Amino acid sequence: MADQPIVRIENVRKAFGPTQVLKGISLSVYPRQVVVLVGPSGTGKSTLLRCINLLGRPDSGSIWLEGLEITAPKVNEDKVRQRVGMVFQEFNLFAHLNALQNVTIGMTKVLGMHKQAAHAEGMRELERVGLADRASFYPAQLSGGQKQRVAIARALGMDPHVMLFDEPTSALDPELTGEVLEVMQQLAKEGMTMIVVSHEMSFAREVADRIVFMEGGHVVEEGSPEQMFTNPVSDRTREFLSRITDPGQDEHK
Amino acid sequence: MNELLLFAQRVLPVLWQGTIITVQLASVSLLLGVALGLPLGVLRVYGSKWVRRTVMIYITIFQGTPLLVQLFVVYYGLPQLGLTFDRFAAAYITLGLNSAAYQAEYLRGALISVSEGQMTAARAIGMSKGQAIWNIILPQALRLVLPAWSNEVVSMIKYTAVVYLIAVPDLMGQAKNLSSKYFAPIPVYLTVALFYLVLVGITYFILREVERRLQIPGLTMEG
Repeated sequence: MADQPIVRIENVRKAFGPTQVLKGISLSVYPRQVVVLVGPSGTGKSTLLRCINLLGRPDSGSIWLEGLEITAPKVNEDKVRQRVGMVFQEFNLFAHLNALQNVTIGMTKVLGMHKQAAHAEGMRELERVGLADRASFYPAQLSGGQKQRVAIARALGMDPHVMLFDEPTSALDPELTGEVLEVMQQLAKEGMTMIVVSHEMSFAREVADRIVFMEGGHVVEEGSPEQMFTNPVSDRTREFLSRITDPGQDEHK
Repeated sequence: MNELLLFAQRVLPVLWQGTIITVQLASVSLLLGVALGLPLGVLRVYGSKWVRRTVMIYITIFQGTPLLVQLFVVYYGLPQLGLTFDRFAAAYITLGLNSAAYQAEYLRGALISVSEGQMTAARAIGMSKGQAIWNIILPQALRLVLPAWSNEVVSMIKYTAVVYLIAVPDLMGQAKNLSSKYFAPIPVYLTVALFYLVLVGITYFILREVERRLQIPGLTMEG
């Protein structure tokens, strides 16, 4: 990849009170890449994601988004977040708006689009996640998998340059994860740059260009799925990946 | 029988006049309360530390002292500082400021019970904090606050009765006059109680209907 990275993270540290969560993380993500962050719970994967769209600010270190240092003072956070889509574990759909309105509210209120244009664009995004027929449904009337797909459409509606997924299937019943992963796979195929925190190893194996193993606030190892699953350098990586891909061996979670 | 008819003929029109004033007092005060209580409630939750504190002091003062004392301070006390209001203005100001405090506090409860993820998601699509509060948090909080707010409306209708003590001819004021005029406290006050009851009943019914119409589909609201 000769391009310059779309996201570059340099030596980012962050603590919550006395707990040092990120202990100097560096990571580069290139356009059209899918990077899956894996690692035990509480290792700072979600914290790192939230730093990338400035929902949490690093204590030190720098993050660049398309060549602009977003951690510099006086950067307009709202503008940064418009270019970075985020999908949450708990969906966080706006409860008082129907599926279509969830997708269009950012277009009209943030991007200043006209209602009609936003409506048409919003329907296209819902179609993209296979939910055009649920446009008038409210979040409480949708299944978990449908909610998460609407949440993806909402993020896509802002035309983001990077998408962040924070354990997008962890709150779903097992039979509902498939529809969400399918949508994500489709996005990857279309060339969306994605950073995904996930425990879905088969997704990581099939879709990721790169897997990053994090533990204790550090990046322990990163590499292609092939290399990470078959021939990891670090024993910790091997141990974690074998445990998580073969849950029979050790009941995780 | 004739006596009863005579009583009704004399008393009811006067009580009706009082009722109109009571309704005016309650509705104007409530609107003042909304106009002031809404921003106060938002600032109470999302303001900077000093703003939050200032609002809290305001709320504490109005919730922590009797309404009658507030009314007397405004009507009899402030003129000594050069601020003179006629009795109606004093009534509107006192009831409005008082209601604002309660409404702000109810709204605070509703605002903090909207899940934090709503704010996070709104910020994540690039909304400023103000946009997020206005477009995402408030519409949900206002639905949540409706039941508490209905109580405030009902309370307000009854609280307005204190203004008879500064000689505003509201329902209660007229009752007082009639009672002494005809030496008939029991029939007069019972009739007045019935008037208040009907007012509250109608209000309650309307508010229930509003709550029902604003319900978010698929979400059940208790009550």
